[in-house]
Amino acid sequence: MSSEVTSDNPIYGPFFGVMGAASAIIFSALGAAYGTAKSGTGIAAMSVMRPELIMKSIIPVVMAGIIAIYGLVVAVLIAGALDEPSKYTLFRGFIHLGAGLSVGFSGLAAGFAIGIVGDAGVRGTAQQPRLFVGMILILIFAEVLGLYGLIVAIYLYTK
Amino acid sequence: MTNKNKKTSAGIGGAAAPSKQARQQSEDSQDYSSFKTVLFYCMLIVFLPVITFFLLKAVVLDGFFEMSELKVNIFSAVGAVVALHIALGLYIYRAYFGGSGAKASKVD
Repeated sequence: MSSEVTSDNPIYGPFFGVMGAASAIIFSALGAAYGTAKSGTGIAAMSVMRPELIMKSIIPVVMAGIIAIYGLVVAVLIAGALDEPSKYTLFRGFIHLGAGLSVGFSGLAAGFAIGIVGDAGVRGTAQQPRLFVGMILILIFAEVLGLYGLIVAIYLYTK
Repeated sequence: MTNKNKKTSAGIGGAAAPSKQARQQSEDSQDYSSFKTVLFYCMLIVFLPVITFFLLKAVVLDGFFEMSELKVNIFSAVGAVVALHIALGLYIYRAYFGGSGAKASKVD
């Protein structure tokens, strides 16, 4: 480590970037895990009576998995930009922390929404197959919440 | 209790047993084909964005290396997310249209 530690490049500057990368993937994975587990219980309960609908009812699980990929993309971007304290300003650390937190908490919220909607929607689709289109639309709107967080995170990352 | 059930089914269903077995086999093959489809699309959705991200990063870096590192990263990330959504759209399309066809064939 070089000795160029100033008030703009403090020794703790990369801490914020590391926390941003970690929180991006941690909170996204938390939301994705909740979404997968909650809609997975719905699929398990529904498949006992209607096993031919499994292909349709896997969709909430796939969408919950996509939330984790959003977090992964941002975490990889931030981790690629991390550097030694002498080449990493405190400002960039703050930017990266903000990017990670925005995609992380958006992913957490979207994962919760996907889990609850997926559980109820899959159970309902077994009773009334015409609910499927509505379930897909609601799932897309829940998924888009995570995409908004990704857009803000990438926009922050370019600053 | 299980023995008794087995005995009655063996005693009554002499002619019904092969058709039940055939139906079981067709259900198995249907389950297998739907499992193959789901596995293919899940692998596509999991691995396509990762491959797109790193491939785009390498190709764009090689092709237009006057671009800054930051821009290359941004384009790779956006490309990965776009590829992900294309794969998801394909899966939903297949589940919506292919799923109804499978159900109709199951009714037969």
